[in-house]
Amino acid sequence: MNERVAIVGYKQTKHTFDSPVARERMIYELVKALFAELGITRDDIDTFILASNDFTDGRTISEVFTVPRIGAYMKDETKVESDGLSAALYAYMRILSGLYETALVVGFSMAGSEFRAPLIQSYTLDPVYERPRGIINYYSIAALQANAYMRKYKFTEEDLAQLTVKNLENANNNPYAARKEENPSIDKVLGSKPLYLPIRQAHVSAYADGACAVILSSKKMAKKFTNKPVWIDGVGHFMDTYYIGDRDLLAMEHLSAAAKKAYKMAGIKNPKKEIDLAEIHTNFSSEEPVFAEAMGLFKPGSGKDVVKNGESRIDGALPINPSGGPLGANPINATGLIRLAEASAQLRNEAGKNQVKGAKTAVVHAQDGPGAQLNTVFVVRR
Amino acid sequence: MKRNVAIISVGYNGRFVSKRPDINIPELIQPAVANAISKTKLKPEQIDAYVVGNMHTFEGVNQPHLWASDHFGGAGKPVMRIATGGTTGASVFQAAYYHVASGLYDVVMAIGWEKHDEGDAQVGLMGILLPEAFSMFNFGPDMSGERGIAGLGGGGSTGGAAFQAMSYLTKANAGIEHIDRIAALMRSNAAKNPYAHLQQPGCTEADIAKTPIISYPLRYGHTCPTSCGAIALILASEEKAKKFGITDRVAWVKGLGSGSSDAATGNIIEGQITDPAEQYMCKVVAKKVYAMAGIKDPKKEIQVAEVYSGFSHQDLMWPERLGLVDEGKSPEMLDKGAFAIDGELPLNPSGGVTSTNAIGASAMVRVGEAALQVMGLAEGGHQVPRKVENAVAHGWGGLFQFVTVTVLGRTPVKK
Repeated sequence: MNERVAIVGYKQTKHTFDSPVARERMIYELVKALFAELGITRDDIDTFILASNDFTDGRTISEVFTVPRIGAYMKDETKVESDGLSAALYAYMRILSGLYETALVVGFSMAGSEFRAPLIQSYTLDPVYERPRGIINYYSIAALQANAYMRKYKFTEEDLAQLTVKNLENANNNPYAARKEENPSIDKVLGSKPLYLPIRQAHVSAYADGACAVILSSKKMAKKFTNKPVWIDGVGHFMDTYYIGDRDLLAMEHLSAAAKKAYKMAGIKNPKKEIDLAEIHTNFSSEEPVFAEAMGLFKPGSGKDVVKNGESRIDGALPINPSGGPLGANPINATGLIRLAEASAQLRNEAGKNQVKGAKTAVVHAQDGPGAQLNTVFVVRR
Repeated sequence: MKRNVAIISVGYNGRFVSKRPDINIPELIQPAVANAISKTKLKPEQIDAYVVGNMHTFEGVNQPHLWASDHFGGAGKPVMRIATGGTTGASVFQAAYYHVASGLYDVVMAIGWEKHDEGDAQVGLMGILLPEAFSMFNFGPDMSGERGIAGLGGGGSTGGAAFQAMSYLTKANAGIEHIDRIAALMRSNAAKNPYAHLQQPGCTEADIAKTPIISYPLRYGHTCPTSCGAIALILASEEKAKKFGITDRVAWVKGLGSGSSDAATGNIIEGQITDPAEQYMCKVVAKKVYAMAGIKDPKKEIQVAEVYSGFSHQDLMWPERLGLVDEGKSPEMLDKGAFAIDGELPLNPSGGVTSTNAIGASAMVRVGEAALQVMGLAEGGHQVPRKVENAVAHGWGGLFQFVTVTVLGRTPVKK
């Protein structure tokens, strides 16, 4: 068995709302560019893991055409039908088992141009009772959660708008983000179209066309790829119950459990102190304070103070989504993997304008399902 | 040092059938899970994690494990979803293996299912091809390359399979009567398996030959049904299996692997080199898996095979590609009765995929049936009479390109 696994390479596309190329070409060019950067060929990869979904691809067994495009022709490969961070988790397991030394993980979708995310998301709902009524959906769940948080902790619409502005500013400095809004301001956010209040259009993540590729390696092989490995020191993933009425949308117990498991594995006792930054998969900016608190990064209910003191800004005590997060680009299936790539960039001091100074430990989160039913957490270190 | 992993239980939700209008997807999965747990002394909370999968475009529910999480016990547990087309079930099982082999979990459940009555399987399979067809409508018919698949796909996957069947028959110097014969053997094997869908006791070559041709040389009797059903496997680490005191009736995972070649059909149109009956990747993966399992001569050391054959000619083709039979010798083996349950190389004692096909479950059923043969627990007269030291389970999917191979055995590979 391998003891330690590293991220030794990562690359993402410039995410857009109108990709000029098809998904097959997008991932082919991405993987090819990553191999060229590292000076490797596909023969240096032991196992290939895709993260995609037949619904988002609009095609049965869509990997029939995407598997060869990531270099897995005549190779060992499989597919996780969930977010890319789950695929990275599977790659991590495969390397830990000792049967593989290196793995390529690729997640992608064309959420910007080929389909409307709310439609595809609605297909995950109970088709008998919930889907046809349209009352429960990803947006209304976010609104229920946001309202509960705002009411309990006196978090205002202005506070929420300020969080959105923080993320949009970060996204403006992120060369890969799809969404670029000139001079984002609280007024502009509060003036955007109300959807399910307090959720407005501005708070919704930017469903985009894009892909992300990450290479994992055992300790033994890491040197071959890079002298700046980023180590995966803790992982955790848990699924919540399906029915929204049965969940505690504020406590997010299963996200909390996933984070605790990852921290324990990484030997982290005080996440607030020991973690330098977090990349969190939020479909709506209202999820940010709830998730960050469930992950033990801030005290429960401290959202208002965090916003006021700028604690989650890039220059704050614990930057959350210095990349701008999914508010800047949310190519479903790649989004969680992009969080891992962004955290790796931070730990390798390659995050450009969004660089968090002296970042050594990061926590990465991905969600899947309605109201973040499935949560995956990674702790990564320089 | 590798961690040894065993399959400790195999659960079904009952016999596979055409239609289950009385239940929904979560209700289809739950009995299989309960059945697998009931065969052990485990409590549901002792399952550390779940790996699940089906082909969700058939039923029109995206990632149905989310909706079903409370029914299979996934709520409050780690859950991972894997889907790889026809090989889904085996890919799910292999992911469950890595959950344990990684050392992160000790007891893991793998679940595969399909509820084909919720949609039309041929329409679902046409979903592979339709995007090409749509571009044809937009830009005019261009039947070269992968777009030609749309033309081939006239009968769902049968169109492409007919090419493979013709190529195989030519290579093996066999005729359509051999396909009739193996199809009859599978349907009569299925009659001995209480969980199989199409059970035809004493089915003969003549019975199959009466069925109409769909796409020459494939008849209706050579094709698989669309079934509703679910299967659940419980995997455990060696330490846990010892702790449960069940090491004498488990199936050890000795070797496993998966792989992909290119989508084959496009290349037929272009007249290129890829022959859908060659299945080179199957040979590559099988070789790797046998080496991992410490098997030097698969012909001698493997006592039973469960192969994934959506069409009956594949029941002749796969044993050759898996190295269990010399190339082109399957028809001869069939004629001398070697593939029968009491034969030299029992092939699909369960009746195989041509008798039962709930697609997301099928590749896992191969693993589960191989496990039952190793454990000696196959019910209803389909247990192989001789001692099964090693069994091989195979999965096939995609556009003739995905393959999974797993070797299970009575004793773990020495570390």
